[in-house]
Formats: sequence, structure tokens, C-alpha cells
Amino acid sequence: MFRKNIIIKITIAFIITAFFSLQLNAQRWDVPSNKKAKNSYIKFDNNTAKSGEEVYTKNCKSCHGDVGKANGNKTLNPQPPDLSSTLTQELTDGELFYILNTGRNAMPNFKNTLSEEDRWKVISYIRSFNKKYVQVLSKTDPSKSKLVKINMNFNAATNKMNLSVVANEASGPVVLKDAEVMLFVSRYFGKLQIDKTIRTDKDGNATFNFPKDLPGDSIGNLTIVAKVSDEIYGEIESQTKLTIGVPTDKPSLTAKRAIWNVLKLAPWWIIITYTSIVLIVGLFLVLIVRNLFRISKIGAQQ
Amino acid sequence: MSEQEEKPKEKTRRDFLKQVGIVGIGSVLAGSAIIAGINYDKRKTKGARIKVLTAENELLEIDRNDATKVGKFKAENLSYMQKQAREGIKGKRWVMVIDLSKCKNARKCMSACQDAHHLRPEQHHINVLKMQESTNTAPYYMAKPCQHCDNPPCVAVCPVDATYKRPDGIVLIDNEVCIGCRFCIAACPYSARVFNWTDPIRAEEDKDLVYNPELNVPQKKGTVSKCCFSADRCREGKLPYCVSACPNGVYYFGDENEDAVTNGTTKETVRFRKLIEDNAGYRLMSELGTDTRVYYLPPKNRTQPFKEEDKPEAGEHIGNNNA
Amino acid sequence: MLDQSKTNKITSDLLSHIRLNYAFKLWMGFLITSFLVCMYAYITQLDKGLAVTGLGDYVSWGMYISNFVFFVATSLIGMLISSVLGLSGAKWAAPLARIAEIIALAFAAVAGLVIVMDMGRPERLINVFLYGRIQSPITWDVTVVTCYVLISTLLLYIPLIPDMKYCYEKTDNTPKILKNIYKALSLNWIGSDEQKKILNKSVLILSILIIPVALGIHTVTSWLFASTSRTGWDSSIFGPYFVSGAFVSGCAAVIIAMNVYRSSYNLKDYITEMHFDKMAKLLVLVSLVYLYFNLNEYMVPGYKMKKFEAMHLHELFAGSHAILFWSVQVFGLIIPIILLLFKKMRKPSPMLIIALFVLLGAWFKRYIIVVPTMEHPFLPIQNVPFSFKVYTPTLTESLITLAPIILVLIIVTGLSKLFPIIPIQETIDHYEETK
Repeated sequence: MFRKNIIIKITIAFIITAFFSLQLNAQRWDVPSNKKAKNSYIKFDNNTAKSGEEVYTKNCKSCHGDVGKANGNKTLNPQPPDLSSTLTQELTDGELFYILNTGRNAMPNFKNTLSEEDRWKVISYIRSFNKKYVQVLSKTDPSKSKLVKINMNFNAATNKMNLSVVANEASGPVVLKDAEVMLFVSRYFGKLQIDKTIRTDKDGNATFNFPKDLPGDSIGNLTIVAKVSDEIYGEIESQTKLTIGVPTDKPSLTAKRAIWNVLKLAPWWIIITYTSIVLIVGLFLVLIVRNLFRISKIGAQQ
Repeated sequence: MSEQEEKPKEKTRRDFLKQVGIVGIGSVLAGSAIIAGINYDKRKTKGARIKVLTAENELLEIDRNDATKVGKFKAENLSYMQKQAREGIKGKRWVMVIDLSKCKNARKCMSACQDAHHLRPEQHHINVLKMQESTNTAPYYMAKPCQHCDNPPCVAVCPVDATYKRPDGIVLIDNEVCIGCRFCIAACPYSARVFNWTDPIRAEEDKDLVYNPELNVPQKKGTVSKCCFSADRCREGKLPYCVSACPNGVYYFGDENEDAVTNGTTKETVRFRKLIEDNAGYRLMSELGTDTRVYYLPPKNRTQPFKEEDKPEAGEHIGNNNA
Repeated sequence: MLDQSKTNKITSDLLSHIRLNYAFKLWMGFLITSFLVCMYAYITQLDKGLAVTGLGDYVSWGMYISNFVFFVATSLIGMLISSVLGLSGAKWAAPLARIAEIIALAFAAVAGLVIVMDMGRPERLINVFLYGRIQSPITWDVTVVTCYVLISTLLLYIPLIPDMKYCYEKTDNTPKILKNIYKALSLNWIGSDEQKKILNKSVLILSILIIPVALGIHTVTSWLFASTSRTGWDSSIFGPYFVSGAFVSGCAAVIIAMNVYRSSYNLKDYITEMHFDKMAKLLVLVSLVYLYFNLNEYMVPGYKMKKFEAMHLHELFAGSHAILFWSVQVFGLIIPIILLLFKKMRKPSPMLIIALFVLLGAWFKRYIIVVPTMEHPFLPIQNVPFSFKVYTPTLTESLITLAPIILVLIIVTGLSKLFPIIPIQETIDHYEETK
């Protein structure tokens, strides 16, 4: 029953999307070849598709609509395609992953909002609409990521941050060549990327230009985060605290005397003017009341 | 309340915990945990151990969070919340950047804000306006929260210190002190403040909540309400309600002292000054000298044009109905 | 030397109105009934919140604040007549001093209540004293209005001390308790030179002290507006503009009170046509000054037509507030000035009508200052109900606005039934000097 339904839906979707695909051809995604070949380390099955559907409903459905129903948001231009369409299904897993990572025009990127696992699960969900799809698993073995060690080395003279990535295999250390490396600095709401995403050289080294003017805490401490993504070892993240930022200890914004500040920090001129006016008027009033007592006293005496 | 219970499930929160602990703002977090402890007994966050002398002269060592629970009187909790709200978060100077080129008038920010602050549909802490400066200039959508001025005219005129500026730049209002004179509404050039003309929309269900000035909930009849820059969320290391609700990447929020702002949609963190410099960012009505903490990026190279049907309303304000 | 019979006549004439007659009871009954009706409206406001008014998040100040400004304005006349004219030696104003003081005190004291009626949380009034920030013009206003009420009370009371003696000795049919009050208030007055010296000195000090304080109350009130950056309020002449306008409405109020007291208390010999003539001239003078400030206030921005100023002025001159604006300026200011230039018009009856127009115009002038500015903020008003964009006062709101006006009438009537409204001692002294 369920399968039949899907087949009918797919057929309808094919007819509809085929009509649009000609128009949209001009806006094909331009995906670098090395990204195109990337594959998931997660085996796609019903479970991954199901959790992928949850992620899809939260993050993608508002524009792309229900997969297979071609009921995406019609007001957008270009219109977001139905993801069961050939247009989408023709793409490799690596291309879909790239699209999720970068976004374009109205489509936001999800590289910071969804974990890599979740991103793959969404792809798994999308693929569940394609019966012909056969998954190619990546060579990545996530359990091996524990073996990898990232060494950070900062050269203050040149303002360069050098990373060396080594995996401590049982057989001895192995340098990670051609692995994708990103460098971040922790900020209050997220990680600020430093320089560009680069790849390690043949010795497992990667060098980043580090900005001189990045504010640190009061003594200049920065929390540096390095992220390595390797074909075999998967994703590795390492954190360290270095005193290489600009010491920042800005005063509180309410420290100065100002007209808008609290009573204790009112400008002197207001305090003096106000108090003296009130005192002077009060003094005269006291004087007058005293006079009234005097008048009364004189009358009483006589 | 249900949202609070969900929080520990979120992955982003754990990531954040890790970072913050290292950066050394653990104290801030402990603070937020204490409030959470007061409000919601269900929360179990480990805090420092403290020694307490009981009425029976017994010296006990207990978790700090449990200790604050003893303050079971609403008034005690309230004064704690009021004090905390005035202190702000140390070392921070919050800034918001609004990229007008990305705003498509989706209004998710407005509804998220009204939900969070228990506002009526006509009450806007943040309002998306259809703007046009003059007949031949481009109309555009402009989200307008409170600008959290560093020279706030509203705070200057408050007779009772109900509205105040905190050390981290946020302008808040304490509706337990506000006398409802509405001088601040008159003084604000950005029309950022609203008033509770009648009983708040969720008065009944909120009546047992301890008032939190950082969220300004529960709202109170006869008092002024305003955008809080989601001070409660900042305390937890989360982006403001409006910022995270935006589907179009319009908002960036962050700390000027760290020179970093994070986009609410993509969660991408960029350098604040560079963002402003590269895009010729500006501040609203800077000629008034209000020194706002909200920056705007001009509506250039928009991903979607201004809707035709919105043009008459945009033109109304300049006395031009685009006929 | 002392014409005893003349003195007796003056005393009995000026004390004659201190009795409760049928007309008074009817009038007071009417006032109190209307006041209670208005207070019922206020109770609904306390219950339902300010939603019973036509106010909204944009026009958040309306009739109540206009009313407040009007009250503070009208109270300023006490200073002009009893102090400025008194100090400058204008003897003709002496019999009017007490009327002016009564008006000043009534309006200033009730102004405090008007502002409470506008508050969303009136029960928190105490916060102004507990957490008062001296940077806020509202705190200044509370301080200076309190000072003004105190000084005005003393300035009303001190010249009354000798008269209290007369009240105690010469009135009949007054209840015993009132007699005792008169006795207590007369402070053992025997009219010795020493007592007179202290009394005159006290009045002199107060007359001088009240000038800056009176200027202060209205200048500070104007700063409630001028301290914001809103178009139409952001003006450096708001202080003197308000003060000059205050004298206009105050003069009109005094003229009306003179008229009513004169005819109902049979005081034609004491408030003469000469007094009306002088008051008319004074009204023309202050109106001309006010007209001059109006010219400055509208002409200067009108010449430049800056964006928001232009929108504001367009609303006033030709837009939705034009009818009210021009009526106020023409019927409340220009025509009264022209009419009062003619001697025929400077008579009690025509002046009563003119003064009523001026007073009504003065009230609506405050409305014109408050409301149009609030309807046009810098940023567009969008995504709110239509009622937020255009201010329409409700019936409840109007009744609540009326309450303090009725209260002023109650006070002014009540005080005139307790105390002589023409100073007895001064009139006798004046009679002796001129004999």
C-alpha cells in the first residue's frame, strides 16, 4: 500500500519537476570535484531516513514542502525544488552535502546549524524517495578519530598558526595528508573562522595567518579550536587556550556620570542645582512659618 | 516553561557549555543556573558547594543551587531577579546587526518575540516596517527593535529608575517599579516602547510566575514594556528570540568587545567591525546622538525585490502614496 | 479720623457672602453629583486599565496631559497678579489678589491629581519619592509644583490673618466649629505694629519667592515636552512660550471668577468696571506676548520646512487638526485681542464671553500641542490597529478629564464661602489712605 502510494507520488512528481527542470538548468550548482566525490560514513537505512525526516521537517520543509508532493514555497524565486525530483536525485551525495554546507540565494547554509551526522541523515531521507539509489559508503572510520592528535604552534613573529595533524596508529605515527583543516576562535555565541579552510601538506602540516587584532579576555587569552576532516579518520576537533589575543578590558557602559544614569551617577551640575534650589525654597518656607509663630506669640503676650 | 525543560536535549547547548567553561565565564553560567533553579525546580545543574548553618545549629555542606531554593518566598526570588537584571553580564557589550538586504518581511522575528514576551498581537518589541525615504528612493523592509542606545533618552526621563541601562548595554524595564507615566514612550525617537493598556494577554496563566525583568514576563497592566535584547537568552549563551527565529539570515548578534557577531540563521560567526566596514553599516537616526547598539546594513543587492503591494504603505509616511 | 460707619459697611459687605444659602447648596449639590459621576468613570479606568481611553502606543499622552498643562498654566496667574503687580505698586490689583490666589491654589493643587489620573499605576506614586531620579523633568515638576502649592497656600493665608479676626468677630449664624477655626487661624491677631511688620515682611518674601517658582512650574512642564526630540516639541522657546500662554488662560480664569463673584456676592462696589478695564488691558498685553511666541514657534520651522517639521506643520495648518488649530488661534487669541481694544468691550458682560472663549481656546491649545506631535513620530506607525494611528478620546476619558475641572469649581466655590474673597483689612487701609 505504502509503497504503491510512493510510486504514484514519484511519478506525479517526475512529471511536474521535469517541466521545471529545463528552466532551472541554468542555475545548476557548481560543486568542486573533490566535494562531489565525498560520501557518507553513515550507512543509510530506514532508521537514518526516519531521523533524517525529523531534521527535514524542522529545517527544510518550510521552503521545500513535503518531499514528493511538489508543494514547496511558490513565492520564492528561484523556486525551491521538490527533492524527490530527478533534478535533485541526479546529484551525488557529495553534491547534496555541499549544497547543505554552503547554501545559495534564499537557501541558508546548514554547516553551523546541523551536525555532520544530521546533514547525512537528511540526505538519507531524501534518498529514500529514490528506489534506484545505491549508496557508496565513504572509507571513513569514525572510531579512528580518537587516534588523531592536532598540535598547534603559534609563531608570534610572523603571526602564523601552524597545525600538525598526526594519527597515533598502533603501528606508529601516521601524518594526515590532504585533510581539510579549519581554524576557529571561540566567541560567545559561536566559533569565528580564522583565515580560510585549507588542506594539510604532505607532512600533515597546515599554516594559517592569524589576525593581530583579535580581542581576547582581560589578559589576551583566546580559545582556539582546530577542526580536521579526513577521508579515513573522519572529523577531529581540538581545543586549546593561548594568550595571543589583544587584552580587552573595556569599562562598563554605565560607569560614567550621565543624565541617563542612576541617581548616584547623576551629573554634578544637576545634583548641585537641584539640591540648592530645594534647600533655598525650603529655608524660606521655614522662615515664613517661624514668622507665623512670632505673630501668634506677640498677640498672645498682649 | 516547556521550553526550559527541552533545553538540555539540545546539542548546541552542550557545545556551548564546553566552550564557556573554558573561556572562564563559568560564573555567568552558574548564575543562570541559579535563576533556573529558582524558577524551575526540575533543573539539576551542578553549582559550587556551600556551607549552611541550619536552625538546629547543624553545619551542612550543600549544593548552591539547592540553597537558593530555600528562598521560597516570591518576594525574595523577585529581588534576586531584579538585582541580577540590573547587574547584566560582565565584560559584555551586546550589539545587533540587521542586514536589510536580506529581509523579506517574513515576520518570524515578530511572532517569536511576541511568543517569548507574552505580548498582544498589536504590541511589538520588534516591528518590521515598510520604509521609504522619498519618492524616488528604494522602499525596503526594516526590522526595528529597541536600539539600546548608549545615550538613552527614555532612561534619562524616567522619574523612578524603573527603566535603566545595564553595564552590558541593554536597556531594560522593571515593571515592578514602573508607575506608568509613559514619559519614556514620549521620549523614544524610535517608537520602540509599548504599554500594557489592559490586562496582559496571558495574565491568568502567568500569575504565579516570578517576574523576570530580563524577559519582562509576566507583563503587567499599566506598565511599559520593551525589547530586552533577550537578556535572558544572552545569559544562557543563546541568541535572542528574534535573531534565531529569522529564516533569512537578517540578524547578527554578538559582543562588541569580542568583535564578533553570529548570524541567527546560519549560526556563522563573523567579525563585527569588518562586517560593518565591508557593507557600509550605519545606525538609525545617528544625528540624534543616541549612540545605538543596533547597526543596519543597507538594502543593497537584495535577494528579493520589495513587494509591489507593500509600496503604498511604505510611501504613506513621507506623504506619498506612490500613486 | 476713623470713619467707623464706613469701616463697618466694608466689613459687613465683604463678609456677607460667608453663609450657606439655597443657591449655594444647589450649585454645590450639582457639582458634587457631577464629580461623583466622573469619579465613577475613573474607577472603571482603575479596574480596566488605561484601555478605556483612546490612547495607544503612539499617542500615549492625550487629554489628561493636555489637561495637566492647562491646569499648571492657569495656576500661574496667582504669581502675576498678587506678586508682580503687587510688587510693582499697581494698587488697583489689590482687591483681585485673593481671587487670583484662590485660582492659583485650586488649579495647582488639582494639577497634581490630574497627573495621577494619567498614570498607569497610580498606587505606585510613592515610588517617585522612594526612587526619584533628579535627572527626570517629572521629578522636577513634582518638586516645583509642591513648592508652588505651599507658597501659594501661604500667600493666600498670610494676608488672610487680619481678616480671620473679622470673620471671628463679625460673622453671625456661622457654626461654632467654624468660629473656632477662624480664631485659630487668626493667630492672636491684634493688629499691633510689630505684627503688621512681620506680616508685611513675610508677604514680601513670599511675593518675591513665588516669581521664580511660578516660572519654574510652567517652564518645567514645558520641558516635559521640550526634553524629547519629537517634532513640534523639540523647541528651545518652549519655556517662555508656555509661560506667556499661561498668563493668557490665567487672566481669562480671573476675569470669569471676578464676574461670577461680583454678581453673585454683590461686590459691585469693590470689583468695579475699572478693575475689568485694567484686567482687559492686561489680557491684551499677555495675549500679544503669547501671539508673538506663537509666531516664533510656527514661523521659524515653517520657513525652513525640514522634513518632519513640514509634515507636522502641514497637519496643523491644512491637515486633520487644521480646524481646531485655526479656531484656537483665531477665536481664542486674535479676535479677543481685537475686541478688547474697544472700550465698549472692556465691560463685565462682554468680557465674560470673551474670557470663556479664551479659556476654552487655551484648553484646546494644549491639546494641539500634545496630540499632533504624538501622532507623527519619526518612524512610520505600522502593524497596529487604526485606533493607534489616530487619537479619538473616549467618553470615559472625557468624563475623567472633566473631574478635575469640577473639583476646581468645588474648591473655588467652597473657599469663597469660608473666607472673604476681597481682603477686608487691605480695603479698609486703602479707604483710610485715600480719604
